[in-house]
Amino acid sequence: MRGETEVGRLPGISRLGLTAPYWRWCLLSPLVVALGAVTAAIGQAQAEDWPQFRGPNASGVSTSTLRLPVEFSFENKVQWQATLGDGVSCPIVSQGRVFATGMADTKKFAIMAFDAADGSAIWRREFDAGKLPRITPPNSHASSTPATDGKRVYAYLSTMGMIAVDAASGKHLWTAPIQQPAYLMDWGAASSPIVHDGMVIFCQDDDLAPMLYAIDAETGKLRWKTERPDMLGGYAVPVICEANGQVDIVVSGTGKLKGYNPKDGSERWTCNSLIRTMMTSPVVRDGIIYISCQSYGDEKRTLKFALLEWLDTNQDGVLTKEEVPPEFRKRFDVSDRDHDGVLKDAELDTAFQSPENMVGGGTTIQAVRGGGQGDVTKTHLLWNLKNTSPSNMVSPLVVGNQLFVVKRGGISSCFDVRNGDTFWKMSRIGNLGDYYSSPVAGDGKIYVTGENGFITVLAQGEKLEVLAKNDMGEPCVATPAIADGRIYIRTREKIFCVAEH
Amino acid sequence: MSRWRVCEILCGILLVAWAGSPAFAAGPKVAIVVDAKAPTLERTAGTELAGLLGKLYDADAKVVATIPADETPTIVIGSPATNPALKPLAAGWPKLSDQGHLVRSSKLGNRPVLLVGGGSPVATLWAAYELGHQFGVRYMLYGDVIPEEPAPFRLDGFDILLEPNLKLRTWRTVNDFPIGPESWGLEEEQKFVRQLAKLKYNRVLISVYPWQPFVHFEFEGVAKQSSLLWFGYQYRVDGDAAGRGVFKGAKLFENPDFAGKTAYADRIAAGKRLVGGIIDAAHDLGMTAGISISPLEFPKEFAAVLPGAQSVHQLETLTIGPGPMQKPGDKTLHALAQAQIRGYLDAYPTLDVLYLTLPEFPGWAEHHAEAWKRLAGRSKLGSDITLEKLTEAARNRKTIASGERGVAAFRGNVTALDFLQTLLADPETLKRPGGGQVETVLIDADPALFPVLDRVAPAGAHTLNFIDYTALRSVASRELLADIPTRKIPSSLILTLADDNVGMLPQSSVTALHELTADLRKHGFEGFSTRYWMPGDLDLSAYYLSRSSFDSGATPTQSLHDLVAPLCGEGVVDRVQLVFDHIEQATALIEKNDIGFSFPIPGVVLKHYESGTEVPAWWGEVSAAYLNAMNEAYRANQRSRLEGRSFTLYLARRLDFAFNYMTAMEAVKKAGIAKRAGDKETHATQLQAAVDALHDALNAQAAVARSNSDRGVIAVLNEYGYRPLKKELESLEE
Repeated sequence: MRGETEVGRLPGISRLGLTAPYWRWCLLSPLVVALGAVTAAIGQAQAEDWPQFRGPNASGVSTSTLRLPVEFSFENKVQWQATLGDGVSCPIVSQGRVFATGMADTKKFAIMAFDAADGSAIWRREFDAGKLPRITPPNSHASSTPATDGKRVYAYLSTMGMIAVDAASGKHLWTAPIQQPAYLMDWGAASSPIVHDGMVIFCQDDDLAPMLYAIDAETGKLRWKTERPDMLGGYAVPVICEANGQVDIVVSGTGKLKGYNPKDGSERWTCNSLIRTMMTSPVVRDGIIYISCQSYGDEKRTLKFALLEWLDTNQDGVLTKEEVPPEFRKRFDVSDRDHDGVLKDAELDTAFQSPENMVGGGTTIQAVRGGGQGDVTKTHLLWNLKNTSPSNMVSPLVVGNQLFVVKRGGISSCFDVRNGDTFWKMSRIGNLGDYYSSPVAGDGKIYVTGENGFITVLAQGEKLEVLAKNDMGEPCVATPAIADGRIYIRTREKIFCVAEH
Repeated sequence: MSRWRVCEILCGILLVAWAGSPAFAAGPKVAIVVDAKAPTLERTAGTELAGLLGKLYDADAKVVATIPADETPTIVIGSPATNPALKPLAAGWPKLSDQGHLVRSSKLGNRPVLLVGGGSPVATLWAAYELGHQFGVRYMLYGDVIPEEPAPFRLDGFDILLEPNLKLRTWRTVNDFPIGPESWGLEEEQKFVRQLAKLKYNRVLISVYPWQPFVHFEFEGVAKQSSLLWFGYQYRVDGDAAGRGVFKGAKLFENPDFAGKTAYADRIAAGKRLVGGIIDAAHDLGMTAGISISPLEFPKEFAAVLPGAQSVHQLETLTIGPGPMQKPGDKTLHALAQAQIRGYLDAYPTLDVLYLTLPEFPGWAEHHAEAWKRLAGRSKLGSDITLEKLTEAARNRKTIASGERGVAAFRGNVTALDFLQTLLADPETLKRPGGGQVETVLIDADPALFPVLDRVAPAGAHTLNFIDYTALRSVASRELLADIPTRKIPSSLILTLADDNVGMLPQSSVTALHELTADLRKHGFEGFSTRYWMPGDLDLSAYYLSRSSFDSGATPTQSLHDLVAPLCGEGVVDRVQLVFDHIEQATALIEKNDIGFSFPIPGVVLKHYESGTEVPAWWGEVSAAYLNAMNEAYRANQRSRLEGRSFTLYLARRLDFAFNYMTAMEAVKKAGIAKRAGDKETHATQLQAAVDALHDALNAQAAVARSNSDRGVIAVLNEYGYRPLKKELESLEE
């Protein structure tokens, strides 16, 4: 195990106002344990959780009826704030605790827990990050959003794998090794886990060994793993789809949306309707999966073109071994079928992209019915839009009858989830710049976070109506969390909790 | 606390102490021998080298006073004069100038010993840095880059002896504009000076202006009140300013040392701390420090004591200078100029050199004929050198200051020189507070006076000369360099690395610098002084000047290779070469067609909106050059070693800025044309495109901003571009 440190275990202030480290205090008395169990159960019943990236099943929608603020800022309606360190991972919320990750410094990765009520630090666990790989800004090494089942928090760091800590105490429980990902363009890791049926599900589509993992949530042992050899680097978070009497783990990736059996990871169905690089995550509602994404270039632009543009350093139209990142040199040797020391022509086509999945770029917004078997491309694809509205990074938001997307420049579009009809298209929300964070919704409002740190609030509806533009003071890549009438916003360095009261 | 607990804690402490000790290092053991009585800079050389070896090789490098008895690989620092340990090894020690330094392998018995020394303590320090350079460390202006996989550690095989061919290597700082070091606080200045020392620059020139908060003086009851930075302009960076993340929530862009300081006394105190701190930082590393002032320009509040003084119109009217009423012999002017100079010398008593700038736009020409008579008489100029001949030379030269402007500049110079000869001859003027006279350098003498510079310059002064605004333009008038009698008066040349008129876009002129430095050597100049505003794009230029100053055979191509290969890897060199080729092409196009294209002043963006002229074809060429450069920089970044990526990514994003800037300006121009034509749809579309592109440009700049100059560009373009364009768009939409 790498060096790990527990830093400043501060007197936690629980929702009941209990002082002292809560977990430790509980251990002292069976009576208190019993009391704690009762109060936790009450808390659980009352509290809205946002236990993973974009909340329940990555929907991005809060179901609480509590009022959410329209106007706020880094100095207005802030209930509490804390410094997390550099990161783009999103906060999560469970049972009155807020969990977040960040880089404590350039070499230490931290998982932190705060009291959702007042932001007091409950615990903080630091890990030596080891030799960190190349990444491309604005990515951060603290990029993966943790997930929780209320008992444990599961966080991923590329150099360590999946880490589980006790949700109440921060005690390190296990680490499950996961092969460090490699990306041809050095994007860096940014996949996030989910928890389902006692398993931590984690899809890591890199350019070298894309894989879907299921790890036992209690023990950290691998339950199963499924290779996804026809995938390229992508960052879709798996979602759970219940449809047609079956439960599937659904993952979008290069060219294909796939459903897997949660029991053993076997592939149940595939819908071959997607595009090359899938960085966004799907959304599931009522057994239908909604996807929006943009991938550079048109449908003829396979990976080869990107390789020749950016990896072919000397622009001679072939790739030498030195032009390929070190992690890919074995693959290079295998692909260099004529052993002439360069990848060219047909060798280049399939060196890193599966010959069975030679999709190109483009854009898509689509709806796919879940619960299929085999190739469902012709049977389950409900509608498919190919317009310029989707972003390559920002996942769609499905709320009410609307599917909302936003992209660079604050250009938004909204479609009817029932048939793909347009409510509005390519309209500006009044905040320029890049967008990485995905929109979230609650209390009839949509919150759209720009990289420049402004959160634009829209009225949920069939017409674009901007309610407010709120300044969070520093760049923001992470998607906010919503729970119990509070919005938790992670900027590049900090977390803010904003609420009406 | 239990005994076990105490024991546990003690064990922990011991373990930490052991693990943290150098003895725990996994790399080679090295003894660095510095004599106990060695000069401070030699001790600094020892500790710097120990630190570098630790970072490079995880070496257990210890500074010791004597050569160890065992066989530990040893580096001996200093010279036979400063380190007795060198005496048994000193056979064949060459004669070194006070800047000469060597890195030479030797043996003591069977033990390899490396001699790292110089002809003076600072030269020894440079020798230590040279060894780091040989091991692959690259001293970038933004910091050291330590190769992850350095050349194998060795102490044998070195035989390097370096003597300078340009002895005075001056780096200018402070100056004006928020895009330049005027926006740097002391911390940033100190960091920069440390890098300059590693690159063997040996003088820092602090260029200041009368309205700035770096001096206080009083004269005849009038006290200085001006304490402005960047001409008094304010740059808002609040609201939804593009690229605002770099300002960390600040409302105004500021020099951090002046943040929130509005009272004159507070600003002067901050200014003195800043300039004094730069001088100290330079001295600590064996460099000399100079301040350049305009001795004939005064804050405007002194108009009350100089009747008839004329206002000096630059960007704003912040100063006055002598007018027709003042003759060069005017006693009040003499006393006022002396008071100002004394203000600086008293504020900065350890200053080495005072640079006196002749006015760039002189308006004091009325008395030039009589001034010339006095000057010619005192200087014993022969009859073949006449005022008329020199006036014609000024009129007919190729530089920007030619024609009537050239004549006015020349005449103003003649009057000012007459005045300065008298002023500086007064022993009170240059008297150091601690005794003795401060050295002086005359800046910006008119090129028509070059042939007689040794005679018309104030006695004992050196000169720092200016040919034209850019290096390329200076090359075009290079014949002027031959006119300066450098063997009679030590002279340097101002080398423009990046020009403020060309502005905020990436610039490179290393090819022209190569030609100019060759001329400097040929004509016997003692050195150069840099001129630039943003340092971010200048690593190659700074490195080239550093290396070529000790190696006349150095070329830009070879320098780029030597800089980039250890930093990024061999495969990247050709791409970075292309990056700089494209940037040079863009720089040349801009300075040829519109030298003030992105000059960071009000109207820099809106002038294109209001011009009503079509987008010129050369803009497309500039845009293409920046785009090509950007693509090459991204390719270089993709291939670069991790440690080199802060260099390549910075280039890529700066070029991303440049390309988007060009896109924005094109849209601004088209929007302006559409507005005149009453084409509302095109007007709005183009304005939106301009706002989008400028936003993207500033975001790209913000993504890699690492100096306050970089942030200054973002502040300036929000003020003069993004915000007004957005406002115009909003008013159009309403």
